[in-house]
Amino acid sequence: MSSRSELQQQQEIIGSLQPAIHSPQNWNYEVAGPLYRAYMHPPHDVGGQYDVPVHYEEKEEEEWELNTYVTCEVLGWKGVWTAEERRRRADNDLGHTLYFGIPYYGRWIWSAAKMLVDKKHISLAELLAKIAEVKSRYETKQITRNPSDGH
Amino acid sequence: MSHTHTHGDGGADHSHRAAPMVEEITDFEVLEIAVRELAIEHGLFTAEEHRRFTEWAESIEPAAGSRLVAKAWTDPAFKARVMEDAVKACKEIGIDWAEPTGFGTPSDYMHLVVLEDTPTLHHVIVCTLCSCYPRPLLGMSPEWYRTTNYRRRLVRWPRQVLAEFGLILPPEVEVRVEDSNQKCRFMVLPVRPAGTENWTEEQLAEIVTRDCMIGVALPRPGRTADVHPVHKARRPVHSSPQHGEAAQ
Amino acid sequence: MKQNKSLETPQMAIDKSARFKVGDRVRVKDMPYLFYTRSQMYTRGVVGTIAACTYQDLIPEEEAFNLDGQVEQYYIVRFRQKDLWPEYPFDNDTLQTESPERWLELVSDESGPEQERKGSE
Repeated sequence: MSSRSELQQQQEIIGSLQPAIHSPQNWNYEVAGPLYRAYMHPPHDVGGQYDVPVHYEEKEEEEWELNTYVTCEVLGWKGVWTAEERRRRADNDLGHTLYFGIPYYGRWIWSAAKMLVDKKHISLAELLAKIAEVKSRYETKQITRNPSDGH
Repeated sequence: MSHTHTHGDGGADHSHRAAPMVEEITDFEVLEIAVRELAIEHGLFTAEEHRRFTEWAESIEPAAGSRLVAKAWTDPAFKARVMEDAVKACKEIGIDWAEPTGFGTPSDYMHLVVLEDTPTLHHVIVCTLCSCYPRPLLGMSPEWYRTTNYRRRLVRWPRQVLAEFGLILPPEVEVRVEDSNQKCRFMVLPVRPAGTENWTEEQLAEIVTRDCMIGVALPRPGRTADVHPVHKARRPVHSSPQHGEAAQ
Repeated sequence: MKQNKSLETPQMAIDKSARFKVGDRVRVKDMPYLFYTRSQMYTRGVVGTIAACTYQDLIPEEEAFNLDGQVEQYYIVRFRQKDLWPEYPFDNDTLQTESPERWLELVSDESGPEQERKGSE
């Protein structure tokens, strides 16, 4: 359970995450053609956009990343979804902010979770309960070492 | 962390205690576990199926592509078969694009096209929309290949990006970028370099690294590894050799 | 369990003949898009050459939404980099990418488009 101060800090971060073009009032009454296209542009279509040289690096794969890749492919294997649906969800539906912000395989697992809920394979309530339960596995391991118990 | 507290304030907020020490787990790790367990609980797939596909994922490696290139260099009839039907030709080097499902992987399909370089034509591959990659032949894609940075820049400034990889080509050479945005998967068949006359297939395969088959490097005698900085994992995959890194 | 449609036998997959052939000059149409497409912005309105006919399959705009529609021909289209980017300095360089048929229209010559079968678009 997050403390109140942690939640307030979280609120500040949520509030500072904005669309790239900030205005004092959101939900403009009109949007000119080029801006409409920019908003509606599929986030994944980045070819030809400007960017700077960076050091290209390899990345050692995390266990959760391999598991994510396999889960997504096996869901495809079993006909629950197709890779094309995954790309639509993970590279477009989630929106520009998440697309550019969260890890590569974070988008994969996010889209798998959203798909399962959208297609009614699981309910959102069930997913949230499971997330809480998984988290608690890691917390309860340490519960006997809570400092206030005077260990 | 703040330790200010007031006793007798109802006790609902326990922030005056240090948070219980937890084994560090990230939110995406939690989400991954949650999704996988729910999927299995709901019968969408079995743990055995997950394990089987994991086994395939850990078996794929760029050495397969290297074998294909080395064989194509030494056997013109094989090369002709590669250019005619690449998926079929892969079977001759032990790669079956239908695996492990029997009808191909959901992401990689079964439409392989091998791009043959010549002294005046150099191919380099990108997927601007995501990170489509010929996994059965090259293993998992390198991190840089997936980045928006590579995908933005390679199509428009290919020579600049190649120069950053250390590859500079004269203007007379046609640099052809292949943007693999649909279901075809591509691999570069580089020009066999000078100084490799009478080499065995094994010797040739050693200098055909993953970067050569993406098109960001040229094979040459003595060059047997793709060298890039490696970002280490917090909780890496334990059980098998790392895929996605240069295996040369 | 639904398989990838393009893995069906050739007899099942081909229910339309290809409109274009290798060597045809085609322009990428700037059609409306919403939610999802795999036809890149940077090719819109540009004229290229059919380099290969690849396979027949559903279009991404439908497959991504689990719609089992008609398959159509896909092509690899080759462009001159100088035609794609205003500042591109090298004459010889090219770029290839894949497109389903509906995004392409035949161009009769370099001076402008000639839309064949316009009424059926």
